[in-house]
Amino acid sequence: MGRLLLIARLALGDIRRRRLQSALLVVMIVTTTSTLTLGLALHRVSQSPFEHTRAVTRGPDVVAQVGSGPDSTRPSVAQLAPLRHAPGVAATAGPYPVARARLTAPGASVAIEAVGRDAAPATIDRPLVVAGEWVHAGGVVLEKGLADSFGLHVGETVRLAGRRFEVAGVAVTAAYPFYPACLPALVWTTRADAASLAGRQPLGYVLDIDLTQRSATDAFLASPAAGAFQDATSNEPSALQAWQWIRTDDYRLIALNQKAMLVGSWLLSLLAIASIAVVVGGRMAEQTRRVGLLKAVGGTPTLVAVVLLAENLLLAVAAAIVGLIAGDLLAPLLANPGAGLLGSAQSPRPSLSGTALVVGVAVAVALAATLVPAIRGARTSTIRALNDAAHPPRRRPLLIALSARLPLPLLLGLRLVARRTRRTILTCASLTIAVAMVVAVLAVQHRIQLTDREQWALFAGAAVGARATHVMLLLSSVLVALAAISATFTAWATVIDARGSTALMRALGATPRQISAGFTAAQLLPGALAALAGIPAGLLLYELAGGHLGNATPPVLWLVAVIPGTLIAVAVVTAIPARIGARRSVAEVLRAE
Amino acid sequence: MPVSLPQPHPDAAPGYQLRVVQEVLLALLAKEPSYGYQIQAQLQLALGPLADALNGGHVYVTLNRLEKAELVVSARVRQGERPDRKTYELTPAGRERVRQWLADTSWPKPAPAEFHLKLVAAAAAGMADPVAIVDAQRRALLLGLRDAQRAALAEPDGSVAGLLLEGVVLRLQADLRWLEACARHWSAKEER
Amino acid sequence: MTARLNQRVLSARDLCKEYGTGAGLVRAVDGVSLEIEPGESVAIVGPSGCGKSTLLYLLGGLERPTAGGVRLADQQLERTTEAKLALLRRHALGFVFQAFHLVDELTALENVELPALLAGALPRRARERARELLEEVGMTDRAEHLPSALSGGQRQRVAIARALANEPLLVLADEPTGNLDSGSTTDVLRLFDQLHANGQTLLIVTHDERVAATADRLISMRDGAFVSETRLTGGTARTLSALTGLDG
Repeated sequence: MGRLLLIARLALGDIRRRRLQSALLVVMIVTTTSTLTLGLALHRVSQSPFEHTRAVTRGPDVVAQVGSGPDSTRPSVAQLAPLRHAPGVAATAGPYPVARARLTAPGASVAIEAVGRDAAPATIDRPLVVAGEWVHAGGVVLEKGLADSFGLHVGETVRLAGRRFEVAGVAVTAAYPFYPACLPALVWTTRADAASLAGRQPLGYVLDIDLTQRSATDAFLASPAAGAFQDATSNEPSALQAWQWIRTDDYRLIALNQKAMLVGSWLLSLLAIASIAVVVGGRMAEQTRRVGLLKAVGGTPTLVAVVLLAENLLLAVAAAIVGLIAGDLLAPLLANPGAGLLGSAQSPRPSLSGTALVVGVAVAVALAATLVPAIRGARTSTIRALNDAAHPPRRRPLLIALSARLPLPLLLGLRLVARRTRRTILTCASLTIAVAMVVAVLAVQHRIQLTDREQWALFAGAAVGARATHVMLLLSSVLVALAAISATFTAWATVIDARGSTALMRALGATPRQISAGFTAAQLLPGALAALAGIPAGLLLYELAGGHLGNATPPVLWLVAVIPGTLIAVAVVTAIPARIGARRSVAEVLRAE
Repeated sequence: MPVSLPQPHPDAAPGYQLRVVQEVLLALLAKEPSYGYQIQAQLQLALGPLADALNGGHVYVTLNRLEKAELVVSARVRQGERPDRKTYELTPAGRERVRQWLADTSWPKPAPAEFHLKLVAAAAAGMADPVAIVDAQRRALLLGLRDAQRAALAEPDGSVAGLLLEGVVLRLQADLRWLEACARHWSAKEER
Repeated sequence: MTARLNQRVLSARDLCKEYGTGAGLVRAVDGVSLEIEPGESVAIVGPSGCGKSTLLYLLGGLERPTAGGVRLADQQLERTTEAKLALLRRHALGFVFQAFHLVDELTALENVELPALLAGALPRRARERARELLEEVGMTDRAEHLPSALSGGQRQRVAIARALANEPLLVLADEPTGNLDSGSTTDVLRLFDQLHANGQTLLIVTHDERVAATADRLISMRDGAFVSETRLTGGTARTLSALTGLDG
């Protein structure tokens, strides 16, 4: 017991003494774990929302519709009758009357189809009311995509074919692609209201069909009964839609979102891991030294390792918990798969395995941060561990010779980069990931813009485009923030590591501004590489995630602008460490070393 | 049987220095009999710039004394037209003396007692400021150190005379350190 | 010789440097005034902690004094910005430190060419000059060695070569033999003698009397202030042999 107390005291004392560094490590791990949690949540959510919606709303396998086009003659319910008893049909619901009309409201004017439904829930196609209530006389239930696109809420007044209706509710269905995946938009009213909405136009009819074999839609559509239906209604607009087609229509629209989220979650996790590597690598040197110190004052290697482990575990687990909570809170913001569909069966709460994974990652980080210095410290002699840095700076003759020909800030910057190549590579990697994400976002943005123009020129407000953009922006902000933190950390580590040689350069006559420029250059060099590598990487990422560049490649201007954008961002982030590092007291440093 | 040395010459510097020179000459004869001038040459080689302390006559005078003390014997060598030369050779007694001297570990004058007493006496008599005396002595020693150092630097690496000069330098350095301590002590005493 | 430069290289008045406040106030340098003429070699001697290193840093513009002024190469240091001080250090000063302060990952040659590169010289020219300097200090055969492969004395010789790179008006040495053994000390002393003979103005801070003895002027320092000054010119008071106790 006393031993445990001792270890706890030593570990806590260490943490308290080096508050800034502990805080930094905690921030990194929190960001990492929260993005991991987020990534896992998004991943879960991106799995088959349509199937989920279909299950919840008892979506039909096939929808047969006749009439209610502008050219329809008098369709009759009788045309749908043969389908009700066709082979392979398990059950049907309807037929329901369908009327075409125009919905107008402040800021909205859109063609709709109103389907007249009963108050009681049907056996097939039971739209899920997510706001308000189901149809009643004088009340209209809007499809969710429609409501979200135009910002219509329960209780507002809208006009259908000039007649005033109250918005009774908002519902989700799998029987019809959501707005704006398909025109016209869908609303539900009572049968009587639908009939009256039709006015002088002939009423159409829709029948929901459930098959005995739910996925055998192809067979059904090729069956003689279906063929007879098509022939019988050849003079009128009619449709036989399988649920897979509805899904395709839906997904075409939300595919962008899905891809964005999937890609985003991979990237977040990757970047998180790269950042951790930077942080752990940065602490390694100093940890090895501390192992040496503890040994020198009499700690056995085991005690030393245990104290280090306890310290890192404490920080890591605390950070993991915070990260889990943060990711949990953030997930609902992003985890909406598309306006007209429900999320996955589980709400995006962390599952048990997910939580275990996140905590496991944090513990792994703690272990990694402990094991290597502890082993190294146990192996090397105490004196060496105290005297040498964990690894002395590397010598790169080519870079040194090259830097001699460059102006002073680049000379300093290049030599700083050459000293610690591993750290530079890690920084470059994390920056590349961030740039790649930004480029992928640009590609998606461009695609949305093009698609908007091409396909949905009729619509006011590309709601889906806006949502996808919203998601992408949020994701890229997180990524960029993480990369910025990582870059700042690296800048600080470089400043501290090069303290002695910086003081020397100033004694030899380098001005503070030149030193500061040197530090910035040391970060800009990997930044420039990251920008150059990130552009093709981002485009590749977009392709891999299923986007097609083709003629939708983002304009060259946008892509080229990424380079100075990255450089400016890196320069801003490293400005403060650079400035502070350049203005330390020279005498103090030289005397101490 | 112990042999007493003759009394030191009245003009010579007192004490150990002369004795050293005597034993050195004996030791230089230990290998084989030599002429006087050969001994002289060996001494000059070993002492380098400091060899001017020994003039030629000094060596011969010492050799004569040693002969009188029966530690060496001389023999005349005829050289035809040129004047006769003497060779010198160790006697068994002389050889024994060399052996004793080589095994002897006493070290000359470790403590600067005389200077220490000079300061005490000056303070007691009130005739001079001890700190001023120390400063003057420091200056003298510093000049000496400078010269010794210059001479040492001028010697080629590994020269045996250079080794002697290094010893001079280090000794003077030690003396200067002690003088610094004296200065501190006596100026603190003044302030009281 | 630097004959034409008839103005003083360095002139310091009433320099003070304090650290801490209140009860913890420490006066590292307390009212020091100093003038150095071109071609002079000045040694400042004193026990450790007497403030001589602090004084050197003040004179070299590496620290700002609490009071008093330094005039170096016609510029008042207290009124100069950090950037201008850096420029001044580039062209007018050379530093030699006790801990050598060579860059670990550069060879001896690359270390020596550093000040020239900082001053904007062409790489080739800087390298040539570096080779010349290494030859002057006798380190040509070790030009491609890293500092870790050199002994203390060799490192200090490289550091001295570096200090001379930009032909400084004044070389400031802070305990140059502090980390060296006796043999290496002799090498460094020889170098300083050589520099002095070539007319280089030197200011050496040391607690080693052997180093001090190479100077023209020797200033004793205690508790932050100058105590006495000795001019080591003129002949010896006694002959060398008298010192060795060989005359008789």
